[in-house]
Amino acid sequence: MPELGRAALLVTLGLSVYALVAGAMAAHLGRRRLARSAQNALVASFATTAVAAAVLLAALLRNDFSFTYVSRTTSEALPTAYTISAFWGGQEGSLLLWLLVLTGFGAAAVSLNRRWARDLIVWVVPVFAGVATFFAFLVVAVASPFATQVAPTDGAGMTPSLQNPYMLAHPPLLYLGYVGLTVPFAFAMGALLSTKLDERWLIATRRWTLFAWAALGIGQLLGSHWAYVEVGWGGYYAWDPVENAALMPWLAATAFLHSVMIQERRGMLKVWNVLLVILAFSLSLFGTFLTRSGVVNSIHSFTQSSIGPWFLAFIVLVVTVSLGLLFWRLPQLRSPTKLESPVSREAAFLYNNLLLLALCLAILWGVVYPMLSELVRGEAVVLGRSYYDFFLRAFGLPLLLLMGIGPLIAWRRASLKSLATTFRWPTGVAAATGIVLLLLGAGSSVPGLVAYTFSAFVLATIAMEFARGTRARKALGASSWPAAFASLISRNRRRYGGYVVHAAIVMLAIGIAGSSAFDSVAEAKLARGESMTIGDYTLRYSSLDERATANATEIRATFDVRRGDRDLGTLQAGKNAYTIEDQISNEVGIRSDRLTGEDLFVIAEQINRDGSVQFRVFVKPLVNLIWLAGLVFLVGSLVTLWPDRHEQRRLVARASEAGLPATR
Amino acid sequence: MARKASPARLVIALSVAGVLAVFLLYTSIAGGGNPSLPPSELAGRTGEVQLAGLVVGPVRGDAHAGGLRFRLRDISGESRTSVAVLYTGSVPDLFKVGRHIVVNGELERGTFVAQPGSMITKCPSKYAPKSDSA
Repeated sequence: MPELGRAALLVTLGLSVYALVAGAMAAHLGRRRLARSAQNALVASFATTAVAAAVLLAALLRNDFSFTYVSRTTSEALPTAYTISAFWGGQEGSLLLWLLVLTGFGAAAVSLNRRWARDLIVWVVPVFAGVATFFAFLVVAVASPFATQVAPTDGAGMTPSLQNPYMLAHPPLLYLGYVGLTVPFAFAMGALLSTKLDERWLIATRRWTLFAWAALGIGQLLGSHWAYVEVGWGGYYAWDPVENAALMPWLAATAFLHSVMIQERRGMLKVWNVLLVILAFSLSLFGTFLTRSGVVNSIHSFTQSSIGPWFLAFIVLVVTVSLGLLFWRLPQLRSPTKLESPVSREAAFLYNNLLLLALCLAILWGVVYPMLSELVRGEAVVLGRSYYDFFLRAFGLPLLLLMGIGPLIAWRRASLKSLATTFRWPTGVAAATGIVLLLLGAGSSVPGLVAYTFSAFVLATIAMEFARGTRARKALGASSWPAAFASLISRNRRRYGGYVVHAAIVMLAIGIAGSSAFDSVAEAKLARGESMTIGDYTLRYSSLDERATANATEIRATFDVRRGDRDLGTLQAGKNAYTIEDQISNEVGIRSDRLTGEDLFVIAEQINRDGSVQFRVFVKPLVNLIWLAGLVFLVGSLVTLWPDRHEQRRLVARASEAGLPATR
Repeated sequence: MARKASPARLVIALSVAGVLAVFLLYTSIAGGGNPSLPPSELAGRTGEVQLAGLVVGPVRGDAHAGGLRFRLRDISGESRTSVAVLYTGSVPDLFKVGRHIVVNGELERGTFVAQPGSMITKCPSKYAPKSDSA
């Protein structure tokens, strides 16, 4: 069986190289049949990669420990679901999954657009094939998932912290996101190479980018939630390089999704858009490099592996070639229109882009700073949490405000008078919110108060937009208010889905501000029967129990929780000791208030022999809004991703207006 | 055609200036970060540093009463030098002899006194576990 896997990957490599070379030749010489054959090779490489993936999956499911990979990541006792997740639990399997998704996306994106944008596609194919060649080379020559050994009696098993449902969804979603960013990159490069620099590459890739971006966003939020409930240190994001590795391409992709609208509508920012695509794709590669190469200290420990230098070389190649290409095509990328006023929708989007990019680059600077300082000063200097928090506030808060302004401000040129009219209500709502919160004592954290005030402003603009739109649809003859609302959204999914996503980001901001700027913490060592208080909560430590399960010993401290005079029942926190893996894991107790979104979060830090326990307790207001924001984000993304006939017609009409072969 | 100066340039220039100002503001109020060192390079260092190393036993004491005492040596294993560490505050689950940890603190009379609660342990390798460190 491993031979079949190895052979399949070798064929994949061959097909990718063929698609790269033949595709480039065909595009350059204008050979249609050769181009077709290169396309078919790309599609076939997906099939052969799928064969290799099936071999690995089968080996995992059969617990075939003669596969080195299988013995290292699983064990006999591991439940089936986690045995499947071992596919991406190790480096070689992750790379294979990457290749599988890459060839799959490539085959689909090329096939879907081949009639509509043939002249563009001929150059997209070799770009895709180039990226696929790199990954196929890695799994063939550097990190093969099909290495074999004399089968041991049992495998090494999986780290307990990875044995939970989050690990079934979080890594694959991130991969879908990372790899998905290859699609806009390949089309952008295809457009540059073919000099078909019209808006078709944007139209062809809009949904792919949205999909990758949504997957990356939801994948990250799932990771945060996992950290919050499973890792149990009381937080959900630690600005760790590996976490930042996923955040940076997401920020770049967010900027791209916004600036694309300016190019579609006004033909501006063409160079900028290509730059953002290159940046997003390079950052997704860089993220993988960070997680694999062990060049920076991270709480996710990644043993130094052999693929680091390959990745670095590939990133350098990608950045050099794509920037070179962009520079070469600069004369063709001149915009026909110019920014007319610094107070206009275009300008607002530009500010949004610059802020997103500034935040992204500030994070990148923080991530690479230890490496740079080591090079320059011979000593790695690490920038801590305060660095990232500072820039999140400095760039994030203005971004929040712009989220309310951007969608409402007039195109081209807005007069100050019209601004006053448009934003009369939202400004009033924001001011009222700010004053009420100040009276309630939210002034203890100025950034928190500002975040809440801006959030109120944005939510007011979103509500206003929905209300105005629904009223207009009703006036145009919708039978009922719900019908008017539904028709409003279905007629412009992109716009109103976007508002839903904005609402999700506002919820996220409120949740982050609440749980980080207005949280409280208390620590105490309690003997049985003793109590501690935090805020208006009282926790009485009543009992300590020990229980043996199949693979762990579970120790739990039980509390009686009261808030004021109200009895809130009991809450448990403790530790699990895993026998085989010889590991201990914190099992935190969380009590969520459904009405206010506040969490009471209890960690049993140290359980002493005499039965006393060192507790650490947090009260985190509004933290549940973060997870709820994930759901709203998903809904908003789905609305924008949903096929939209109106939009398609508009885009095709605009494309044909520009004299393009828009026959789809 | 008489070119009217586009506000785009002004916008970008102002934005870049704004970003630089924010950066300057940061460095002036918060200063730089901490140097990250292995135990073998710690000798004679003053000031706050980040120490990354491998835990060497025995581990004694109580992190919540008097402090936890253990030694750290280089992860790379090239140097046998180790340094005594005194740590208070929450101890991550994964802390034990043989693990890689990172703590912030300062060298005081030969002992690295860690800031309370600053310890982070590295996840046991999610990708390709190494068996030699256990």
